[in-house]
Amino acid sequence: MSKIICSAAIRGAHKIVERAEAKYQEAMEKWGPDQEVGFPNTAYYLPVIYGILGVPVKKLGDVKDVLDRCRSLLPDMVDEHVWLPYLAPALDAGMTTFFAEEIIEAIRYLESPDFYTKTEDPSNGNIWLGAADDVILRKRGVEFVDGTAPGFAAVLGAPPTEEIAVQLAQELQEKNLYVFMSADHEGRSMSEMLVKAGVQVGWGTRLVSFGPEYTATVFAAGFATRAAMSFGGVKPGDFKSILFYNKDRIFAFAMPLGTVTDEWYANAAGAINWGFPTIADTPIPEVLPTGVCTYEHVVSNVPHDQLVARAIEVRGLKVTVAKVPIPVSYGPAFEGERVRKDDLFLECGGGKTQAVEWATTKDMDEVEDGKIELFGPDVDDVGEGGRLPLAIVAEFAGRKMQDDFEPILERQIHHFVNYAQGLMHIGQRDIAWIRMAKAGASKGLKLKHIGDILHAKFHQDFGAIFDKVQIKLYTEEDKVQEILEKATGVYHQRDARIEGMTDETTDTYYSCTLCQSFAPNHVCIISPERTGLCGAYNWLDCKASHEINPTGPNQPVEKGETIDAKLGQWKGCNEFLYKASRQALDHYNFYSIVHDPMTTCGCCECIAAILPLCNGVMTVDRDYAGMTPCGMKFTTLAGTIGGGMSVPGFVGHGKYNLTQRKWIVGDGGIKRLVWMPKHFKEEAAERLKKLAEEVGIPDLPDMIADETVGTTEEEILAFLEEKGHPALTMDPLLE
Amino acid sequence: MALTGIQIYKLLPKTNCGECGVPTCLAFAMSLAAAKAELAACPYVSEEAKAELADASAPPIRVVEIGTGERKLKIGGETVLFRHEKTFINPTGIAVLVTDEMSDEDVAGRLERFKTLEYERVGLTLRADLFAVKSLSGDAGKFEALVTKVKSQTDGGIILMTEDPGVMEAGLKACADRKPLIFAATKENAEPMAALAKEHGCPLAVKGDGLDEVSELTTKLTEGGLNDLVIDSGARTIRKAFEDQVFIRRGALLKKYKPLGFPTIALPCEMTDDFMQETLIASMFVAKYGGIVVLSDIQGHSLFPLLLARMNVYTDPQRPMATSPGIYEIGGPNEDSPVLVTSNFSLTYFIVSGEIEASRVPAWLIIVDTEGLSVLTAWAAGKFVGDVVGISLKKSGILDKVRHKKVVIPGYAAAISGDLEEELGDWEVLVGPRESAHIPAYLKEWKVG
Amino acid sequence: MAFEIPKILYNGAIKENPLGKESNRITVGGETCYPFHLFEGNMPHPPKIAMEVYDATPEDWAQAALDPFTDVVHDPAAWAQKCVASYGAEMIALQLASTDPNAQNTTAEQAVETTKKVAAAIEVPLIVWGCCNVEKDTEVLKRIAEECTGENLILGPVEEDTHKALGAAAIAYQHTIAASTPIDINLAKQLNILLGNLGVPDERILVDPTVTGLGYGLEYCYSVMERDRMAALTQEDERLQFPIVCNLAKDVWKVKEAKLSDEDAPLLGDPTKRGVLLEAMTALLFLLAGGDILIMRHPDAIQLVRGFINDLMGS
Repeated sequence: MSKIICSAAIRGAHKIVERAEAKYQEAMEKWGPDQEVGFPNTAYYLPVIYGILGVPVKKLGDVKDVLDRCRSLLPDMVDEHVWLPYLAPALDAGMTTFFAEEIIEAIRYLESPDFYTKTEDPSNGNIWLGAADDVILRKRGVEFVDGTAPGFAAVLGAPPTEEIAVQLAQELQEKNLYVFMSADHEGRSMSEMLVKAGVQVGWGTRLVSFGPEYTATVFAAGFATRAAMSFGGVKPGDFKSILFYNKDRIFAFAMPLGTVTDEWYANAAGAINWGFPTIADTPIPEVLPTGVCTYEHVVSNVPHDQLVARAIEVRGLKVTVAKVPIPVSYGPAFEGERVRKDDLFLECGGGKTQAVEWATTKDMDEVEDGKIELFGPDVDDVGEGGRLPLAIVAEFAGRKMQDDFEPILERQIHHFVNYAQGLMHIGQRDIAWIRMAKAGASKGLKLKHIGDILHAKFHQDFGAIFDKVQIKLYTEEDKVQEILEKATGVYHQRDARIEGMTDETTDTYYSCTLCQSFAPNHVCIISPERTGLCGAYNWLDCKASHEINPTGPNQPVEKGETIDAKLGQWKGCNEFLYKASRQALDHYNFYSIVHDPMTTCGCCECIAAILPLCNGVMTVDRDYAGMTPCGMKFTTLAGTIGGGMSVPGFVGHGKYNLTQRKWIVGDGGIKRLVWMPKHFKEEAAERLKKLAEEVGIPDLPDMIADETVGTTEEEILAFLEEKGHPALTMDPLLE
Repeated sequence: MALTGIQIYKLLPKTNCGECGVPTCLAFAMSLAAAKAELAACPYVSEEAKAELADASAPPIRVVEIGTGERKLKIGGETVLFRHEKTFINPTGIAVLVTDEMSDEDVAGRLERFKTLEYERVGLTLRADLFAVKSLSGDAGKFEALVTKVKSQTDGGIILMTEDPGVMEAGLKACADRKPLIFAATKENAEPMAALAKEHGCPLAVKGDGLDEVSELTTKLTEGGLNDLVIDSGARTIRKAFEDQVFIRRGALLKKYKPLGFPTIALPCEMTDDFMQETLIASMFVAKYGGIVVLSDIQGHSLFPLLLARMNVYTDPQRPMATSPGIYEIGGPNEDSPVLVTSNFSLTYFIVSGEIEASRVPAWLIIVDTEGLSVLTAWAAGKFVGDVVGISLKKSGILDKVRHKKVVIPGYAAAISGDLEEELGDWEVLVGPRESAHIPAYLKEWKVG
Repeated sequence: MAFEIPKILYNGAIKENPLGKESNRITVGGETCYPFHLFEGNMPHPPKIAMEVYDATPEDWAQAALDPFTDVVHDPAAWAQKCVASYGAEMIALQLASTDPNAQNTTAEQAVETTKKVAAAIEVPLIVWGCCNVEKDTEVLKRIAEECTGENLILGPVEEDTHKALGAAAIAYQHTIAASTPIDINLAKQLNILLGNLGVPDERILVDPTVTGLGYGLEYCYSVMERDRMAALTQEDERLQFPIVCNLAKDVWKVKEAKLSDEDAPLLGDPTKRGVLLEAMTALLFLLAGGDILIMRHPDAIQLVRGFINDLMGS
């Protein structure tokens, strides 16, 4: 921590404690130790002292012990020649500051009972409200819990002009924050400036004029402390829980405007204990490393027009967008809506033009949240029946944002766009396809609204993993091509990333129990080389999904001790399976079709089945409706093995998984594959060829039969013999 | 332990001859494993294989049949403890008691109610299944006469209740051709009762004092070649009877404990004197594993709720219940009454029709065939979309039944209104409420003009 | 060989929730086994029955359901008192049906007043149930929470859309909430997670799986409750280990079969006994599936079910 800040804070704390001591002496002489003392209408006594120390100050005499504690906690003044970092002493100094300020304010209530209004709003010309009573605390505190008010800004001092004061207040109000105001800068205070400018202050407008002095800052700390006790169920004296509650749940920060005095530093140091950082408009030293606060502790010299944005970023406050701001209805009910040719107003992609979607990560300072730009013509410029190329680029920034989240976020574009009435979305990546209906266009729907939709929905559903997002839409041919090239490169990288991973070098797999709603005992466990059988989730997706929703259907599974390396069975996976399947299954193998294979929910892309006569295995994908050599069509197979059972001889798998190295490798792997539908073979040709080369049988693809060869075992057996398929000479599949 | 498809496959001829009706031996093996085929369908299977398969494929709880013809009752054959795991298969048989000491009037009343108390619901006929004819007097002649009377006046199944083999024989003489359930073999009379069951080819109930005694009896009887058994654990308090049902089902399914692998019979009529409570006890056995419940009487107000309970509990959870598509008239609608349309998921139908009724506004309800899916699901699956709904409306004939040209669609299907209007030509499509609870308010506001 | 009872291995327990005023606490939950499977676990607190009271004189009720209360239907407080005094109600459930914007649309102030009156008239725990309109329930129940601090009311339904506002109010003013989701175990779990994230203490959460009556889709609710208990007790699914409340009477008595006269439906027997059995049987099935609190209407049905609970609990 900055030595300057530290020294100043400790100096300030000394001054404030001395002031409290003096006040206490004075009061004792006047009223004696039995005089009742406290803030009005509260069961929390002097709340910071009560919460942090667990000491209920009821009488003046009780103050003595607290002052003694202050003294013992108060660090020595910093020596000119010491150069150590001073976080801990500064924090202690900050804490004593609040104790001392509460004492000073409590005695003020004694000395001048009418100094504060003790009401929700200014009354009789007095704008100073003083400490919030318990009724206000509950009523306002509820808003902190239910999120209608995410937190507060403790403003000390005053900005240079009334205009800036009004603007700051408005900006903070727009973010639904409470503004707790105290202290003056060169004789001016934010509260008074607002009043002068005709702005209403009081709890009702969330512009709370606590008091004219810096000591009134402690009312903000007291409010936060009581919130933890009242709403977090924290017991008085459990200071750790109180501080953590505030750090995690109350998005507050200190905003000193004007010269930062020693006393202000002391208050700022106090706030850091609660996890509240300081954002200043003056060039004071910064304390950037994270530690007590979520991110930086002190950020300074911020221009007034950027103060609020910066404060929100530093405190890690999430933006909430309640409603998607577009001129048509929006919701999941419209997801399945089709836009037919006759209804078509504008079309992007779908083979007629190029459309591409790309989610990418940028640095914090490169992204301005909510910025939506369209480069090129919009709906109005093309007219009915028009076509445009389109590139949608969503640029994310955030302290928790990872590259791994990009594909997950990108895949949401499909749903989010579809939710809009009058918009239809199909496909993803570089085969995206968007249609806008006439009805949508006539209601004023523009391409730019896609940006509004994405910004709002990304924040609503995925706000936990990023802080800012801006959307760029391109509708000019050359620009779209440019984006396409960049995006394609990224797609390849993404694919390669999972390609490079192996099960052996990965200790944590992920469960997927998404399908338990209709197959209650089914449990997928997804490893890098055994992607989800539905094709929708690979290991990286599950990992990201888990980080986005830690209590969701994708849970980490420590694979644990290896029980069978060849068939792919691990102790940790079995234990997880036992519990998650409601004790229906206690083990299965990842890499086998014959020996206790993994269960199938019913939504698998493909089903593999043994072909005993051929000593091999066939697979059929969902799109192939004909008969297969095993004697069952896809639908019959799905009915036979779906529902969460482990059915030896059959296993569901994803299309991609077929060409992963571990596909039924326990039974011989790809060399067992003797039949698959022709169109599937063509689709997987490139990867199949690569894998065939890897296993040393480069012409394997040509040896695999398809429906043009036959759909009975007998028919294909002859073919296999003719081609010399390796399965025929392998160990018997069935013992 | 049931065999897997592969294990069964190994016992089959592996010739893929297709004579069993499926193309390959493997596919046949899978059907056998799922109990969707009979081994007898394969003409080439070896004797050893047959023996091995028969043994392994015997269900953990035996299916027992009582009665003959159309009203033959199947009980047992259950494979799960909780209905959501698969489904409960053979609904609890409901039996009504008559004794040889009842007045003629009491007997006649029961016979009459047994016949008339039938209810149509979602295409099913709900009714009681059996008569339990009990000898209290111990007089064989009286018993035989009563059995004869019951047999002649009903085609329902029969349970003969006496522990005296002599009296039982008289009863069997009267109705053995109807394959009654013999109730019951006990420790004392097991041998003569077994002989009777064997002689007449009738199922036999086993009554023991606790499950150990029951197990001994069933073991002895199966060793003697009797397999169609039904268990009465002897418990007559609610808690004990409940627990015994759980033990029997778990023993059979979880432990594959053969001596308890039979359906059960429970006797609420012997557990309380309060008729209302008795009916309630019966509903407990419907949910918790009773094969048959014997009631002292049935009345419309007791039987109807019990039949509903049975219908609900035995609904296949994996297959949505569907109402048949078409026009439903609610409250006597006329040509100016509103027309509402919804899906044929039975729950949707029940709730929507109930709300329309509650509104007291006469209306036409048109049910569209959505294959049992609810409105939102059907819409998402393309089964409740403009053209489908439009064609259904036209086919239903409703267009000729009303003078106005307005149809109300569910709020959740708002998106189809455009397509539907196109399909129906000059009809106006009104979007109704999303929640059925708001239908009454909506209908009260609805105006024809 | 002697038959060995196959027992289920439980590894979870339902949480115990204290309900009602400080002076008259009753506790629900705490099960360590499937419902009434007392041979392999405990049910320390037998299920409780709450009796319904309406905030306005009911219209369209079956005569059978109305008969026991004709003297008090105009006065919710007197109605509640009668339930306790004459029928031994263990809890009262105040149904705020008249607040429904599609019905009388009575105001939040009126609802607060009624709730206060009823709360003052009884000592037993009070459930306050909204009209299931998201906006209205938020407004009404929030106000009631504020105005009735210290009563430890049970406020329902709290849905995903209302959970923040009502959850926060429950924390601030110390009430219990019934977390309501539409017949789906995953949605139920998700809402419980959200409430936990919000800071609602576990002992203040009850689960309302949404129930319907006999013959009207009861099996869906029945199975969701059974699955809920399986997950809670055998899968350590901590976010499902909450007592379950079944608000069943209003759905049972709403259907036509509960209202038809004997002339209109001769095959359905005596209308009162029929209604009573429809309600009692619905309640019993939900008990067997895992219900901890049953909201019921007819005194005869309640007596039957109460007797049944005793029989199932008895030795």
